[in-house]
Amino acid sequence: MASAWILPALLLGPLLMAACCLIPRSADAVIRFCAVGTLVLAIPGAAAVRHAAALGPLFAAERWLMVDALSAYHLIILLVVFGFSALFAPFYFAGEIRSGRFGVRTAARYGALWFGTIGAMLLVVLSNNLALMWVGVEATTLLTAFLIRLQVGPAALEAMWKYLVMCSVGVALAFMGTLLAAASAGGTGESALLGTDLMRRAEQLNPRMIKAAFLFLVVGYGTKAGLAPMHNWLPDAHSQAPAPVSAVFSGFLLNTALYALLRYLPIVEAATGQAGWARGILVAFGLLSLVVAAGFLAAQREVKRLLAYSSIEHVGLMALGAGLGGVGAVAALFHALNHSLCKSVAFCCAGQLGRIRGTLDLRRLAGSVRVAPVWGTGLFVALLALIGAAPFAIFMSKFLIVKAAADAGRYGVMALALAGLAAVFISVLRHAVALAWAPADAVVAPQKTSIRAAALVALPLAAVLALGLWIPRPFAALLLRAARIIGGFG
Amino acid sequence: MTAWENMLLAAVLLTGFAAVGSSRLATGIRALGAQGVLVGVLPLVHSVAGWNPRMVGFGAVVATTKGVLFPWLLSRAIRASQTRRETEPVVGYGASLALAAVLLPAAFWLADRAPLAVSQAGALMAPTAFTLMGMGLFLMVARRTAVSQVLGYLMLENGIHTFGLTVFTHLPLLVELGVLMDAFVAVFAMGIAIDHINREFDHMDTTRLTSLKG
Repeated sequence: MASAWILPALLLGPLLMAACCLIPRSADAVIRFCAVGTLVLAIPGAAAVRHAAALGPLFAAERWLMVDALSAYHLIILLVVFGFSALFAPFYFAGEIRSGRFGVRTAARYGALWFGTIGAMLLVVLSNNLALMWVGVEATTLLTAFLIRLQVGPAALEAMWKYLVMCSVGVALAFMGTLLAAASAGGTGESALLGTDLMRRAEQLNPRMIKAAFLFLVVGYGTKAGLAPMHNWLPDAHSQAPAPVSAVFSGFLLNTALYALLRYLPIVEAATGQAGWARGILVAFGLLSLVVAAGFLAAQREVKRLLAYSSIEHVGLMALGAGLGGVGAVAALFHALNHSLCKSVAFCCAGQLGRIRGTLDLRRLAGSVRVAPVWGTGLFVALLALIGAAPFAIFMSKFLIVKAAADAGRYGVMALALAGLAAVFISVLRHAVALAWAPADAVVAPQKTSIRAAALVALPLAAVLALGLWIPRPFAALLLRAARIIGGFG
Repeated sequence: MTAWENMLLAAVLLTGFAAVGSSRLATGIRALGAQGVLVGVLPLVHSVAGWNPRMVGFGAVVATTKGVLFPWLLSRAIRASQTRRETEPVVGYGASLALAAVLLPAAFWLADRAPLAVSQAGALMAPTAFTLMGMGLFLMVARRTAVSQVLGYLMLENGIHTFGLTVFTHLPLLVELGVLMDAFVAVFAMGIAIDHINREFDHMDTTRLTSLKG
């Protein structure tokens, strides 16, 4: 078995690295170690993706762990988001380290939590055992709660408390859903918890029980994914966390919870006779999130909260696409990658601008392109991509989701989605233009431009642009296979 | 074992009512501690096939965590903040108890309709679980102090744990440990958060944490 090392390396690697971070050296060293360690994880990650793409699902530990196309696809997003954020962290923390506010002990805690979070998210993505997947989701909640609290101050504390309580309750309800799903299979031993086994005998599951299970799961995991109306914690947590952490929150924490939900979608659909019951629920929550986010985006005054509400919009779109199925499912997964790339860049640039200008208030950030060319331009381009300006890939995925609604003959859904997207487009574009070029009220000396920072910001954005124009064939194949698992064709 | 099981479940319910009907935080903490111990030993009483070392060991771990460790963490938090009572709850105590009393028959009705009975659970098991979940969620919205909300969370958790017994006689050990560890870290994190909230705000009234909005 040449592939036996892959999954253990992916799960134990982060644990080992987290332990390494606790050996105090200097804050600089920890931050650098985070970057190197995260990139090293790409080695087993790439091996897992290759195996899943070329040879089909890879199982381990009595089929408790599994990498199929859907997990491989999410694994790619995870590694890209964490890799980018870890490379960005040195820029963000440099000032704090110099001023002594980010000492060795804080850095050690940050590093350990960073790798702990990666480990927990990997557990979610790699679990075939649905209860183990739940353990991973809950673990991400708890570990990231401490990451929000890395910044001292009453606001961060309030955000942490809200996040902790709302998501703990949500995830507890998701456990109830997990138990009900197992009960719907008649609770025949441990195999009732394996996703693949439930899928295999989906038609024998008790339909009423599995419906009840899905309701609990939608509310539970939906809270964590930031679907409206369970989204209240999200803007607070995203705006209060340090920028690299916000990037990870928006770039993958939400996807983790949505992934957990998507794992159940084909099971519930098969158990209820492919009547579209579960899909309908996702469509409803997706549309509601889109509309709620559009409303709040119009009235936003703070840049990180703006980005947070934009995340609610995008998670809503993914749920909508997955709910519509067919082309929609493909587009939803494609959208997940595009959104994660842009949103990580946007959060990092916004955090850096906030540092330089001493505020996150949108009006007082005016003229940022002049003050900090790299971060200002990066944020502007990322916002442009996020609202769906062509030819970025997000335009493609949004277009395909709307098209899926039209194909399915659901014109009401299509109209509502289009209205939401248009409202978001207008209000965010207005903010973005002012932020980039409006005359600044205070004169701030322009910052030096660092080539490394410029390259770091430009690379993910260039990737989103390239994906909008051309999709490499192996990537397209993986995307289609992943989408087929959640009910997309291809 | 059904007689023992029913007695235990009745005791679990009583601790729930005690927590809902009391304004003293210390009483609530003690009630939830007792409930944790009872829920921890429930699998032993419930087991048809007799005991094995794994079950006894795990029951002891759950009982210690929920019965000793959690109360200790929470008592420390209220001592530090000098908050003894829940003043001005969102819903008064009389009304809370009345609501809890309505919850009980509702839970019986719900359990009756759900096609459960997969692991020969006694007739009281599922209704107790649903009642605990309902009371836990109720506590979280009807009380203001951070400690009361943690108590509500614990009750919800106990309810789900009890419901789990109606589905599985036992979950795989790794999953059970994972679930327990998550509960532990959750309470630990909430305890730390309460500590910090006390220090930063000089109170732990969560309805007054309202600076972030919009």
